[in-house]
Amino acid sequence: MLLRLACTRLDSTADAEDAVQDTFLRLLTARPVFRDREHEKAWLIRTALQRASDIRRKAEQRNIPLEDITEPVAPESSGGELRAAVRGLPEMYGAVIHLHYYEGYSIKEIAKLLGLPAATVGTRLARGRERLRQMLREDVI
Amino acid sequence: MNREDYRKAFDELSFSADFQERTANLLQQRARELEKECSNMTFSRTKKMAVLAAACIALLAVSVSAAVLWLTPAQVAEQHNQPLLAEAFGGPDAIEIDETVESGDYSITLLGLVSGRNLDVLNQDLNKDHTYSVLALRRLDGTPLENETFDFISYTMTPLVAGYSPVAVNNWTLNAGASGFARDGLYYYLLDTASLEMFADHTVYMAFYEGGVPSNTTFTVAEDGTIAFAEDFTGVHALFTLPLDPSKADPAAAEAFVDSTGLNGWSNERMEPEENTDVEFWTTEYGEEPPSMLENLE
Repeated sequence: MLLRLACTRLDSTADAEDAVQDTFLRLLTARPVFRDREHEKAWLIRTALQRASDIRRKAEQRNIPLEDITEPVAPESSGGELRAAVRGLPEMYGAVIHLHYYEGYSIKEIAKLLGLPAATVGTRLARGRERLRQMLREDVI
Repeated sequence: MNREDYRKAFDELSFSADFQERTANLLQQRARELEKECSNMTFSRTKKMAVLAAACIALLAVSVSAAVLWLTPAQVAEQHNQPLLAEAFGGPDAIEIDETVESGDYSITLLGLVSGRNLDVLNQDLNKDHTYSVLALRRLDGTPLENETFDFISYTMTPLVAGYSPVAVNNWTLNAGASGFARDGLYYYLLDTASLEMFADHTVYMAFYEGGVPSNTTFTVAEDGTIAFAEDFTGVHALFTLPLDPSKADPAAAEAFVDSTGLNGWSNERMEPEENTDVEFWTTEYGEEPPSMLENLE
């Protein structure tokens, strides 16, 4: 779950692995106290997304051309095109789109996981979907 | 493009085969370093760090696995050769729920429900509304559930209604029929009961738990009629609230139904098991063990 979620913000699967590794190291060292498993899951998701954003920003600061760090999957595949479009979305849309369309979470569940009002999640889902549609120039989802 | 295409695009991604192993090693190494950093750490704290590392590694295995995609309630109905029901689950009266509770070794997801008349082609109970509910079960450690090994009868999926005793409104009184099957490592329940819509002005629950007929060892009822699992109930359990439309309630029919069961009593207080009373009786009254049936026959 977390690896693919990190890939909504990162071009490289190796970077996604780093983000998830960092998340678990933080879990070990920070020793957060969780109310229940849902709380634990929400913490993991938010931390992994945050780490993915940090790695992405560092890469951008180093001015690494995107084409040098793209994943090894054939770029001409429609899957590669879609993933690139998701990565091109503003971060606030990408996570919501992925949790809904890949993980199958409802708007209410995503709101709980990300600590957002359900209405905000609904808006982000609709706007993210619209942006994807524009980027892919076809009827998306 | 649709959800399947989206999933396919992200399933194409491949990660290092040794990612889990590398990360587990890293976590163990970090745990050891933390132990060394705390030179005055007591044995129990050292042990706790090792336990914490092990817990992180176990969580890692679950968190990095691919997403689980459930069958939809309509697909579950199709698997039961129920085309009318499958159509109803895709129709405007269907209620999508998709709520998950993790309990014990299981993740329990109530997928949805639909109420209607004559939707069951095999058992058409003419002129009576029924409610059909679909639930999915999976093991948290990823072990696939299979038809051959899953102990279907050890678990109960039943509606309950706040304000009415759990012994009055449940699977047994609502003439329920439950069926299940395993697919891709998940186990699906399809529950058919008398329509729950008549209770829609009350809080209506769907309970799933390890055990049989509802009793006060499983549930407690608060003064305001709300139902919860007993605090000391240790079996796998989940309690969902059903988002029924209160305008569809039929209070008179609900009252008549409960009256017809003659079972609306309830007490949260538990009685001592009868066996103990028997032993007490024999040992105090006669000072010896009760005679066996064989002795009586002789």
